[in-house]
Amino acid sequence: MRSFSVPAVLALLAMCLTPTVCGAREHLQVFVTASYLELHTGAGRGYPVFNVVPRDESVLVLFRRTDWFKVRTTRGVEGWASQRDMLKTVLADGTPFTFDLGDRSGYTAHNFEAGAFWGVWGGANYVSAYTSYSFNSQLAVEAALGQFLGKFTNGVTGDIGLAHVVMPEWRLSPFFTLGTGFVHLTPKATLVQPADRVEQTAYVGAGVRCYLTRRFFLRAEFKSHYIFTNFNQNERADEWKMGFAFFF
Amino acid sequence: MENGIRVLLLTVALASLSGCASVRNWFHHDRETNDELAQAGDEGKRTDPSPDDDRAPRVVEPQVERRKVKVPKIHSSDVELGLDYGALSIEDFGTNPSYGATIAYHVTEDFFLQGEYGRSKGGRTSFETLSGNIQLLTPAERHFTYYDLSLGYNFLPGEAFLGHGIALSSAFYVLGGIGAVDFAGDDKFTVNFGAGYRVLPSDWLAVHITVQDRVFQSDVLGVTKLTNNIEMRIGTTVFF
Repeated sequence: MRSFSVPAVLALLAMCLTPTVCGAREHLQVFVTASYLELHTGAGRGYPVFNVVPRDESVLVLFRRTDWFKVRTTRGVEGWASQRDMLKTVLADGTPFTFDLGDRSGYTAHNFEAGAFWGVWGGANYVSAYTSYSFNSQLAVEAALGQFLGKFTNGVTGDIGLAHVVMPEWRLSPFFTLGTGFVHLTPKATLVQPADRVEQTAYVGAGVRCYLTRRFFLRAEFKSHYIFTNFNQNERADEWKMGFAFFF
Repeated sequence: MENGIRVLLLTVALASLSGCASVRNWFHHDRETNDELAQAGDEGKRTDPSPDDDRAPRVVEPQVERRKVKVPKIHSSDVELGLDYGALSIEDFGTNPSYGATIAYHVTEDFFLQGEYGRSKGGRTSFETLSGNIQLLTPAERHFTYYDLSLGYNFLPGEAFLGHGIALSSAFYVLGGIGAVDFAGDDKFTVNFGAGYRVLPSDWLAVHITVQDRVFQSDVLGVTKLTNNIEMRIGTTVFF
């Protein structure tokens, strides 16, 4: 049954997603203004050049993958052109072909970012991922999901809050966070089995992000979580983490 | 006498001429004069060449509105989603089939972030096999469920040739990251690393072969030790 279901699901997935990739679309036409436009066999600088498009000829831009554009020449040849070369093309009205470069300016102002972290939550190993949406270059709303794995307690955390980047144009820019969330605690005691519990949390934190290259940046942060319990005292847990993030 | 009459008539004629000149505006002749002046002015304007009137006179006024050109949006195809099937060797618990799902985001041509989720099942240990009916784990505890968050790096890009006429772009990649595994009734923090080979039969379809090791500390057999759990899997992904 399993051997049948896996290929069936694969085929279904392919059928569902194929039209999104191969469906008929209106493609952008650009004209080569440099001496020639090199076409590679794949989306990467390591793939060989197999065709060139001379100056003043046009190509249709089919789609984009990372820093490469799949184009089709007037003779029907399809290949991959680099972002750097595509900057030297123009539209039909003569205006330069512009697009999102995914460079340092994008690091300063972008819409979305996402990343993964490795850290410590309340003394336990912590795996976390986050995504955020920026209202402007300084203020963003972000959501994070994580799991901590300790000797005595495991748990899952979820946070949602605001992040304020102080100097977004700096390569090394600090930021502050504030928000709320939950923690699902699973104690690992063997003799007495305490029940799992879910508690609401609030956090305040700070961190720093550092632009690396292209769309990548490093992000390190600290959060101080206040866990609102039913006991006499609320609990507190510190979160330290660092990881890779990217903007898009 | 005749001379006197002639002088008198000439004097009257001259006086009447000047009188006609003085009564010229008595009967609203000024309006006509203004109209004439205005007309003369218009004619002057028409005849005076101005810099704006270099164009040829329009015979037919064009009624065509400028067409709004909509630039087509370029679709980005950076996300890869798919399923895989393989074999997972759980240290001390044998090798069993595994299956899972993968999602990756290609940030640059070199780097991608990948998330994996998969399941397998642990078999019987040597101790359980030799000792008869002793069971270290319940059937539910033998389920091996994992997830990983990894960073991948593409290297050795090239082409795979099928016969003389078909060339498929391909690449080797290495992976490394962190994650967690749920096995033997406990969640464990894992570190993973591995390598794979990707070949693209078309722009939107990829076939992967990946070997990945997940390392975590286990105390199932009474001694805490670092276990290596190697998985080899083949998967199909689609770009969208």
